[in-house]
Amino acid sequence: MSASQSAVRSRAEAVKVSRTFDWLICFTLFFVVLGGYHVHFMLVAGDWDFWVDWKDRRLWVTVLPIMAITFPAAVQAVLWWRYRIAFGATLCVMGLLFGEWVNRYFNFWGWTYFPINFVFPSQLIPGAIVLDVILMMSGSMQLTAVLGGLAFGLLFYPSNWPVIAPLHQPVEYNGMVMTLADLTGYHYIRTGMPEYIRMVEKGTLRTFGKDVAPVSAFFSGFVSIIVYVLWHFFGRWFGSTAFTTAS
Amino acid sequence: MKMIKDKIAKLSFVGVLVGVTAAMFYAPTAAAHGEKSQAAFMRMRTIHWYDLNWSKDTVAVNDTMTVTGKFHVFKGWPETVDLPESSFLNIGTPGPVFIRAGSWIGGQLVPRSCSLELGETYEFKVLLKARRPGDWHVHSMMNVKGGGPIIGPGKWVTITGSMKDFKNPITTLTGVTVDLENYNIDNIYFWHAFWYAIGLAWMVYWMRKPIFIPRLIAVEAGKADTLITPTDKKVGIAFAVGTMAIVAATMASTNAAYPITTPLQAGLLRGMKPIEMPAPTVAVKVDDATYRVPGRAMQMTLTVTNNGDSAVRLGEFNTAGVRFLDPAVHEDETGYPDDLLAEEGLTVSDNSPLAPGQTRTYQVTASDAAWEVYRLADLIYDPDSRFAGLLFFTDESGNRQMVTVDAPLIPSFI
Repeated sequence: MSASQSAVRSRAEAVKVSRTFDWLICFTLFFVVLGGYHVHFMLVAGDWDFWVDWKDRRLWVTVLPIMAITFPAAVQAVLWWRYRIAFGATLCVMGLLFGEWVNRYFNFWGWTYFPINFVFPSQLIPGAIVLDVILMMSGSMQLTAVLGGLAFGLLFYPSNWPVIAPLHQPVEYNGMVMTLADLTGYHYIRTGMPEYIRMVEKGTLRTFGKDVAPVSAFFSGFVSIIVYVLWHFFGRWFGSTAFTTAS
Repeated sequence: MKMIKDKIAKLSFVGVLVGVTAAMFYAPTAAAHGEKSQAAFMRMRTIHWYDLNWSKDTVAVNDTMTVTGKFHVFKGWPETVDLPESSFLNIGTPGPVFIRAGSWIGGQLVPRSCSLELGETYEFKVLLKARRPGDWHVHSMMNVKGGGPIIGPGKWVTITGSMKDFKNPITTLTGVTVDLENYNIDNIYFWHAFWYAIGLAWMVYWMRKPIFIPRLIAVEAGKADTLITPTDKKVGIAFAVGTMAIVAATMASTNAAYPITTPLQAGLLRGMKPIEMPAPTVAVKVDDATYRVPGRAMQMTLTVTNNGDSAVRLGEFNTAGVRFLDPAVHEDETGYPDDLLAEEGLTVSDNSPLAPGQTRTYQVTASDAAWEVYRLADLIYDPDSRFAGLLFFTDESGNRQMVTVDAPLIPSFI
């Protein structure tokens, strides 16, 4: 067989090879994205995602979607413009959550015995599905950035609320009011994590009284739009084959 | 040559095997907290812990113990460490082997950070509830924003029993009692599994069809628009609408299930109440201080004036949690950790009672292996070679009074 001859001899064989290639790439992509995205997310959103007593209605709601929309935007750019595949964001977020759960279960619980109700990761899948669908329906990066980015920010808090609401019930503890989440953070000793590091309820957003989360979510959505555009271009640049095209 | 190579390969293999086997059968506990690694000047010139007491040496799972004592916030706080304007009374343990059931400074609960004043002395108490069996080193600890953790003395405490029996019941303001150890875990698992399943369904929908090569060929052939079928669009809309509907419905049902929730509580606690210390009646001036490296001993020349109405004797020098005692004056009966206690480590040139109104020059030597073991001798390599500590004088009635000292330290290498 010379170098110019095909490696397959029939259409059936070509389909089989193609499918094998699909599974290999999907498997590899999942874990490569998991690794990169997980490191990125731990560095830029780490403590907000690690600890339940960081999951507040201001900064957690604002920071996490902005930092989380990065890899989905980049991977969407590659998968959509090259293959018209509409699961880039979901693949990223599922990879991230898989990695996070492995980390939280084996490392935070199995190794250091922090209870899971203290260290569970944030939920991002609903926003990712909507982001994928908007790209598929519109086929437009601009529209996906505007509508998808906004939806990604807006959906974050409500999709996490069923999980964190029980932990926001108030408790009177030795004469002070705390939430169950605060109390968990206080009870389960983190030697290297003094309370003052916690960045919660900081800021000047006081005009809307107690309804802070929706405003934070809108702000997060707006910034997510910009971050989406930026990372979309990172993805396109990263996925370029200009330098490898045969003459 | 080949024989030598083979031999090296064989020996290397045996070496690796021995190494792996040794690691499998001998894995000692890593129990250090790095307390000895912290810069000596930081331990000597920031927070001085004293009168510490660990209420128990052995405690069963679910039982409680306390760590109590006092800490003095040193007036000569080093410039290189931020002031303790935002500080957190922590406890140094290897993770949550205990839970911190309560912590107080001057009687005020301090679940959050607080502001401390230089020169003041505070009483503290930490209530711990045993959770995980084992032998654990329990340290007093103060985190200072911009300064890092300032770790105090530690003592070994044994927890007995089984972690499975640990309970952490809390009653909410709505009257519901929950066990914080496992509360809400099933709910967390359920929602994460639920959304993961939906995400997986979306992925599977796309992956059941050929993905990469045929689609790339189609896109490059200008047929990209044909790759998204009307069915794909219908399924996509179903997923998006379904997702938003589920999010909205679960948000509403959660609000109905938990109508009373509050935001996370945060904010600096100010106005910590210090101990009202009587003005010291003993005045101490450090004339000079040297650290003799070969002898592991610090020598101080002190001019001491007794302005009180009772004769006093120097009983203890305490720095960075290491206590040097003159046994003729003071003996420890609190069960203070042995490695931090130099029971006969303080030698005073003339430690006869110093009468009221009298002034005397003392030659004081604080010597013990602890200088090396606790790496306090490294002070001579610090950027600001000053030492500091607490001197405790005892009067005729047995009352102690504390005087702080702070002066340059000259190393002696011969």
